[in-house]
Amino acid sequence: MKTEHKSDILLECRHIVKSYNGPIVLDDVDFSVKRGEVHSLVGENGAGKSTLIKIITGATDRNSGDIVFNGQALPLQYSRKFAESLGIAVIYQELSLIPGMTVAQNIFLSREPLYPRTRIINKKKMNVMAQELIDRYNFPLKPNDLIDNISIAQRQLVEILKALSGNASLMIMDEPTSSLTRTEVEMLFKIIHTLKSEGISVLYISHRMEEVYALSDRVTVLRDGKLVSVLEKEQISPAEIIRLMIGHRLEENAVHHHLPKIEGRKPVLEVEGLTSVGKFADISFTLHEGEVLGIGGLVGSGRTELVRALYGIDPYDKGSIRYLGKPWVPSVHASIRSGIGFIPEERRIQGILATQTITRNIGVTNLDRLAPRGVVKSRQEKQLAMDGIRLVNVKPPDPEHLVGNLSGGNQQKVVLAKWLVRNLKLIFIDEPTVGIDIGAKEEIYGHIRALAEQGVSVILVSSDLPELTRLSDRVLILRKGRIIKEFKECVLTSEKILRAASGILEEDDEA
Amino acid sequence: MSAHVVRRLVLLALMIVLSVLITLVNPLFLSTGNLLKMLQEAAQTGIVAVGFTLVMITAGIDMSIGAVIAVTSMVSINFISYTKLPVAVFVPITLMVGVLAGAFNGFFITRFKLPEFIVTLGTKSILSGLALVIAVKDSMGFVQNVYIQNESYLWFGSQTFGGIYRTTIAFVILGVATQLFLKNTRTGSYIYASGANPTAAKLSGINTEKIVFGVYVFSGLCASIAAIFISSRMMTAMPELGLGQEMDVIASVVLGGTTFAGGSGDIWGTMIGAVFLALIKNGILKLGISPWVQPIVIGGIIVVTVILDVWQKKIADKLATRAKLRKLAEASAQPAA
Repeated sequence: MKTEHKSDILLECRHIVKSYNGPIVLDDVDFSVKRGEVHSLVGENGAGKSTLIKIITGATDRNSGDIVFNGQALPLQYSRKFAESLGIAVIYQELSLIPGMTVAQNIFLSREPLYPRTRIINKKKMNVMAQELIDRYNFPLKPNDLIDNISIAQRQLVEILKALSGNASLMIMDEPTSSLTRTEVEMLFKIIHTLKSEGISVLYISHRMEEVYALSDRVTVLRDGKLVSVLEKEQISPAEIIRLMIGHRLEENAVHHHLPKIEGRKPVLEVEGLTSVGKFADISFTLHEGEVLGIGGLVGSGRTELVRALYGIDPYDKGSIRYLGKPWVPSVHASIRSGIGFIPEERRIQGILATQTITRNIGVTNLDRLAPRGVVKSRQEKQLAMDGIRLVNVKPPDPEHLVGNLSGGNQQKVVLAKWLVRNLKLIFIDEPTVGIDIGAKEEIYGHIRALAEQGVSVILVSSDLPELTRLSDRVLILRKGRIIKEFKECVLTSEKILRAASGILEEDDEA
Repeated sequence: MSAHVVRRLVLLALMIVLSVLITLVNPLFLSTGNLLKMLQEAAQTGIVAVGFTLVMITAGIDMSIGAVIAVTSMVSINFISYTKLPVAVFVPITLMVGVLAGAFNGFFITRFKLPEFIVTLGTKSILSGLALVIAVKDSMGFVQNVYIQNESYLWFGSQTFGGIYRTTIAFVILGVATQLFLKNTRTGSYIYASGANPTAAKLSGINTEKIVFGVYVFSGLCASIAAIFISSRMMTAMPELGLGQEMDVIASVVLGGTTFAGGSGDIWGTMIGAVFLALIKNGILKLGISPWVQPIVIGGIIVVTVILDVWQKKIADKLATRAKLRKLAEASAQPAA
């Protein structure tokens, strides 16, 4: 068979199917990257972007479909090392450099130049080679700088050089700008243009539409594991990409939610000018009794940081808070005692004690009642757990079951239950349904709405747009740490939220 | 000036201050004989600590070194008591004890991904039992104290030109060679990489399992080498020899700036740490304080050093975030203006 060796397609994926025991994550997806182009891959959380990347880089296998890279057909399963040897390089989101080593050592790790016939590293030559690479791309780096002493943006540059020195022809950048300043982003863009001019392809993944718009030669849009569209340069606009990402789901779910009037209710939490340098700035809002206040925005917009500060986990620098009409300085201890609850973002890491029983998990946040003198009243603890299990319908309803062995949905119900058995006035909920099946999701939605009806105020942070539109009475949109939009008493759609979060403001938003 | 350099200067300064203080109380401290003896003691701990440093750079720990010393010296004693083999033949065989113990540790740690602490603690228990089993017994079955009279074996622990102990020379050679190896060879840099960020190391094509295995073998070998010198110097060996030595070794390594988190540290630091510890122990004796205080002091040194390390890191982190916040504030002020 003759293979066209210098075709202008570098990477070609055809009919890719992937399922993680059961649910199909990628369904017959076609995807291709041309030589020397910047190709963006976009889609909502759960659209299948990261799975596709993992397959291409060899971090996971695929069930079926063909991948041809540089004229070579790749097997169903291959290692990251194999992908790297072919020229597929990833600039990782969590950086994969070795602290304590210099820039040059990191660039040439495991490819160090040696003195002939020895295993002794020729440091002089290594530093010269590193300097040559740095000069060629004009990066602000020195070969002898320690990785620990340079900025995150510079570390990214080291990763890029590491990939280049390994002769990468496809560079995958997954949210590379999430922790960069404005000037650093501009520098990265220039570098991407240089890479392009050298014939290197860049596969760019970002939630930031303006970046996708500014950089891309083509854009592939995924939705619910399926290929929606491949946009050519002249078709790309932020509004169009958002429209394609969300698709017809609005009509299907019919969640044109009318946010109701909330005036006239008693204020529970009044926030004025809250600022935490580098995280969020000048946040002011009032939360009312029985209100569900949604907070939307892209990952990294300061949502999680804001609720953590409000609950008292992290300190803030400026601003004031009033709780139930009185001045309030949040601390976790005071929050719990005063009827404030918190459901954290990462269930497995922050939410549950996986190796403990349901009883202990529910009991641990209620020790003020269960063990007022330090000794846990185990009968009461069990009773409380039974109450909690009944309230949220945990399956199996066995208080001695280890929480680590429950499904994700039931784990989250346990987290919910430990707060529901308390007398709450206010609860912060961060991403309550990540990785949870639809049935459990619906149940959790029911509990959140029920809380509001009982007069509990809820602050809900979510990247799941239908979740925000369905549950919230009012939605604040954060962008780069500031509130840039408030939706109330209007028809709210996922598309509106995403547009606002991406910074595309328009006239017809007024309602 | 890097933190490492500062640390070393502080240690050296402390050593000078302590030496002056001890000399004021007991001038015998500064005698050549005492100083040579002190360096020899530093070397006995230091030889083991060289191997241990590599283990700690990979973020591991080796609790079996003391027991390796015990078994090695028991094997030596058996050769001396029951065979007429020349030293040049049986010492290399004896050193295999450490190599095998290290290979055993390394195998279970890398192959079955078991925690280093548990594996080496198990090895320690097995080996301390083995030392008792193979100890030379009298006709009643009691462990016998054998006095070593083999001249060529006693050579190891003896003094040479200027009264310098051969142990000290061996320590310096081993230390310098290992330091050069760590800093200049591929394998050396892989040892750091395996400890600092094993995932990244693997992604860069480094066989971290092989590295970790090798490091435990080296640690065992160093302990065996030390056993030869210690038993030779003492002219005898008991099955309890070296048990508990872990503490002195850990203290030397930690004092030298190698952290439990792995990925940093070097042999220069360990060498200074070993001398510092020997000075403290020697000083306690010279000051006329009960030697039973030594373990208390050593434990204290380990804890205090680790606390200081954590503080130093915290302060450095705080300064770094403060600088970053200032930069971010400037960046966010720009578009507003």
